[in-house]
Amino acid sequence: MLSQRIIGKLRRYEGWFAAASAVCIATGLYMGLVTSPPDYYQGEVVRIMYVHVPFAQGAMFAYTLLFAGSLWYLWKREPLVDNMCHAAAGVGVFFTTVALVTGSIWAKPTWNTWWTWDPRLVSFAVLLVVLIGYLMLRTFLDDREKEATYAAVLAIVGFVDLPIIHYSVEWWRTLHQPLSISMRGVSIAPGMLVPLTFMSIGLTLLLTYMIMVRTQMIYLQRLLEAKQGRLLSQVQL
Amino acid sequence: MNGLYIRWIGALALGILIGLLGARRYVHDVRAISPERLLNEPSAETVRVLGRVEAGSLVKDPSKGEMVFHLAGEKERLSVRYAGEEPENLRELKTLVIVGRWNRTDGVLEAEKIALIPNYGFVTAAYLVALLPLGFFLFYMERKVAILYTLIKDEKIYQPEESFERQ
Repeated sequence: MLSQRIIGKLRRYEGWFAAASAVCIATGLYMGLVTSPPDYYQGEVVRIMYVHVPFAQGAMFAYTLLFAGSLWYLWKREPLVDNMCHAAAGVGVFFTTVALVTGSIWAKPTWNTWWTWDPRLVSFAVLLVVLIGYLMLRTFLDDREKEATYAAVLAIVGFVDLPIIHYSVEWWRTLHQPLSISMRGVSIAPGMLVPLTFMSIGLTLLLTYMIMVRTQMIYLQRLLEAKQGRLLSQVQL
Repeated sequence: MNGLYIRWIGALALGILIGLLGARRYVHDVRAISPERLLNEPSAETVRVLGRVEAGSLVKDPSKGEMVFHLAGEKERLSVRYAGEEPENLRELKTLVIVGRWNRTDGVLEAEKIALIPNYGFVTAAYLVALLPLGFFLFYMERKVAILYTLIKDEKIYQPEESFERQ
């Protein structure tokens, strides 16, 4: 009953997230592609930042939700929270892959290579492996409760990668540029910061919306499976 | 389901509009021509010429604040004169975009601005790689959820177990 109420609420409020993200992304894309200035050092290629950075932030946000949801699931054993974690992992794989691919496209004209064994890149690729592992683990087990428990434990263990990703550019000498926005200040021109902020907010809202939709999808799929399972058992009887 | 398709047509139209604005900006502010094309089709308008600064051709005159060099294309080269603060990127053997006007009398390109090679193919690729799959993924999920709701409604899933078994 609680799950149905929450799903109903997700259905009711998801539209606001979609609308707000559409406005922010449209504004960010317009500014990023049309009005923002080229970088003095990188030229026009800097425009890749407006998709690469928000997708990378989104991937880390998705994993943070997965981590928090996994802790919550192990504590309360609420199946809908497990559905949310499953949804966050699926969306997280997508965001991580896009961040890696756009980063690779950006690396070619700036570093003259598609890939390098840089700590930031490697730790981000590890995040993708952990997320794919999480989704694969969920397909191996038939027992739903065991599946959710093992997956939650894997997600909690994998969280150790997030601080490594974040601080890799400070802990090691890397090719990847250091943090542009940190406690030390903002080292990015206002003309670039505004579209980047719009894109970051827009994609974070979109990620939240996607997780809301995917949570419903997983919940409804399981509900339908349960229903069809009952029908099948009735036929066998 | 109709609402879903209408919403997506709106999103697609918005995406196409932003894409067209981006393409328009590319044509006006980014696209460059070769030195050969400028020499064959001289223009009085401001042009963007892409070429490599020829080795040994860069001559700086600090007293006039002027720099002169040859910009080489694949087959031909042209002389460029730039007056102003020395750009950080102006080096020999570097591929650059020179924004300026062609002086027919002297046969020199009077540079107003020196910009980096745009590499716009990479920018386009990154945006397409990010946004097209995002659209497909989101559309797939929304459509699937809409279908699942319809299926569950048809299955009368929310009916209590007892009434289902009584049927």
